Amino acid sequence: MSFRVSRRNFMAGGATLLSLSALGNSAFAQENRLRLIWWGSQPRADRTNKVSDLFKTKNSGVAITGEFLGWADYWPRLATQVAGRNAPDVIQMDYRYIVEYARRGALAPLESYMPSKLQLDDFDPAQIEGGKVDGHFYGVSLGANSAATVINTVAFKEAGIDVPTNKTTWEEFGKIGAEITKAGKRKGYFGFADGSGGEPLFENYLRQRGKALYTTDSKIAFGAEDASEWFDMWAKFREAGACVTPDIQALYKDTIDTSPLTVGKAACDYAHSNQFVGYQAMVKDKLMLSNYMRIKPDSKGGHYRKPSMFFSVSAQSKAIDQAVDYVNFFVKNPDAAKILDVERGIPESKAMRDVVAGTLDETGKVPLEYVSGLGDLAGPLPPPPPTGAGEGQVVLRTISEQVAFGQLTPADAGKQLVDEITRILARG
Amino acid sequence: MTNAMRTSAGAVTVERYQGVRADGRLRRLWNANAPGYLFLLPWLIGFFGLTLGPALISLYLSFTDFDMLRAPGWVGAANYVRIATADPKFASAMSVTLTYVVLSVPFKLTFALLVALALNRGLRGLPIYRAIFYLPSLLGGSVAIAVLWRQLFASDGLVNAALSHFGIVGPSWISHPSYSIYTLVALSVWQFGSPMIIFLAGLRQIPQDMYEAASLDGASKFRQFYKITLPLLTPVIFFNAVVQTIDAFKAFTPAFIISGGTGGPINSTLFYTLYLYQEAFGNFRMGYASALAWILVVIIAIFTAFSFLTSRYWVHYDD
Repeated sequence: MSFRVSRRNFMAGGATLLSLSALGNSAFAQENRLRLIWWGSQPRADRTNKVSDLFKTKNSGVAITGEFLGWADYWPRLATQVAGRNAPDVIQMDYRYIVEYARRGALAPLESYMPSKLQLDDFDPAQIEGGKVDGHFYGVSLGANSAATVINTVAFKEAGIDVPTNKTTWEEFGKIGAEITKAGKRKGYFGFADGSGGEPLFENYLRQRGKALYTTDSKIAFGAEDASEWFDMWAKFREAGACVTPDIQALYKDTIDTSPLTVGKAACDYAHSNQFVGYQAMVKDKLMLSNYMRIKPDSKGGHYRKPSMFFSVSAQSKAIDQAVDYVNFFVKNPDAAKILDVERGIPESKAMRDVVAGTLDETGKVPLEYVSGLGDLAGPLPPPPPTGAGEGQVVLRTISEQVAFGQLTPADAGKQLVDEITRILARG
Repeated sequence: MTNAMRTSAGAVTVERYQGVRADGRLRRLWNANAPGYLFLLPWLIGFFGLTLGPALISLYLSFTDFDMLRAPGWVGAANYVRIATADPKFASAMSVTLTYVVLSVPFKLTFALLVALALNRGLRGLPIYRAIFYLPSLLGGSVAIAVLWRQLFASDGLVNAALSHFGIVGPSWISHPSYSIYTLVALSVWQFGSPMIIFLAGLRQIPQDMYEAASLDGASKFRQFYKITLPLLTPVIFFNAVVQTIDAFKAFTPAFIISGGTGGPINSTLFYTLYLYQEAFGNFRMGYASALAWILVVIIAIFTAFSFLTSRYWVHYDD
């Protein structure tokens, strides 16, 4: 599947192994070899490997091997490695999974390394809070981002329609979408992607209604009527031809290359701001970022600055000290920051943000400006999703498809969603 | 080895060889067979280390709440009880899989038999045709072919492009819950190569003089097929049916790739093994997934036993 180790790393790793086996000193091997794992695409891997090389030049005798996979393949592999007592030292962790891994003792608590080895004093305190589970600190945020609408500005211009602004409501957005579809400037082209099964969108909608997906004590935090109205809104969009048909939407696999926007089926799609660089790399037309729509002109607080990825250290690591050094270097070294850019999100360290801001190109500036310009749409960070949240996301998608393909009414769908998520959470 | 030693190294080895004989039959047997066991060793290690061992461990895990990160805790039959009483996804995955088995196996075998019959005539360049027809089976389980299949059956794929010549606007076959399973059946039928090769071998076993006698008696080609070919081929049909049924129950890769691992849309391609995989690696329920796996073993065993029991009524062995 999409598993690759760059040739350089492979050679470096192989050479190191060879030389170490020649020495016949296994203790030496464990102290000086760091293993990293992350998900992402080749450009991310190139940047990460460059930072590793830089770290090696400053810490002689350290060998670093990195491997990366696509999101879907990443979690099974990581789980298998942890179960096999073969976890990499430094693990890229997601907000969704940090509770699962931390509570099961797979990650090393890092608070005792602060501030001696981990110097996170100029981090936004809310983002440090985001890396905590049950009072212990398990993940250093690699960058902030926020959910966002990605917009193909050229398609809007062709249809003669203004792009949505920070004030646009869902109702207006539905009309805009229908107009783009009706304008018919491109073959089989729709206003926007069907977002009814997208968890970030649904969460944003709930937050604007003063609700949330989950409570701090791992319970469901919305009611059937919230979900029913959500599904009903999307049913109307579908009816008006504002969004893509369900069989087009069903081809979307949570990757940039399968997005209806990328494959030329829709003028808008929903993503996270750090993915903007990836979208722009795949779409020729000029793109822009906007917030998720408001449910009413005066509603606020739907968005939040989300720690997009963490670096966590494995509790099984034999070189925790060195792993922590690496993580600190990754988020606090100016040269590393320049290499990493905003590919993993906006740096959390204020000093690094300043370093990066000076070097950004036009595409790189878009997410930075977007996240800082959310205004009253930004609210507090919700608690990390509970165990079972991954299944909840799948259920949302399945039920939204059932509505889209006409197997469920929006009202029944709302009830069913609440029932199933409640059942999943009870199971734990 | 002993033989070779005796000839090359002469009397010394002969002496040793006789000494061994005095030690007992077992030692001698071992010495005579040691090379055989040595060559078998990789398979033995594989069988015990990678098949039997893990199978037994998974049987144990199916009675635990193992989540891959913490040590497994014994939960008794709880996983099995849940499968039987409180898991709607189990039922839906089972029904998708049974649909797949019931559709793909007969179609695939029929298709394989037809191609085998066509190839059985003394065709020039037969080996080449055989290889070409077998190729999809070699590639079929692979990721690349599943990806290709996705392209073919997408809304703007080749299949719909062909249909549009006839004025038909096809749906996106792989992403519509009413059709997606059929694209997977079609993919499976297309991989008819290995049953075809076995059919071909079976057809070659049928004595030609039977056909000659039949045509002298004025039997039509169809009657010959119905009265000679088919009955004599039943052992091969039986073998193919059993093997293909087991394979169909275990199908994983095509559904995984075509649905992007989700089993969607609306669980229409949620094969049993895919559900098992999601539970194990997506939801950290290795214990529960192990129980699912053992249920599958039992179901396959029941199907196979049923085939063997009914076989005596329709499989004819030439004796």
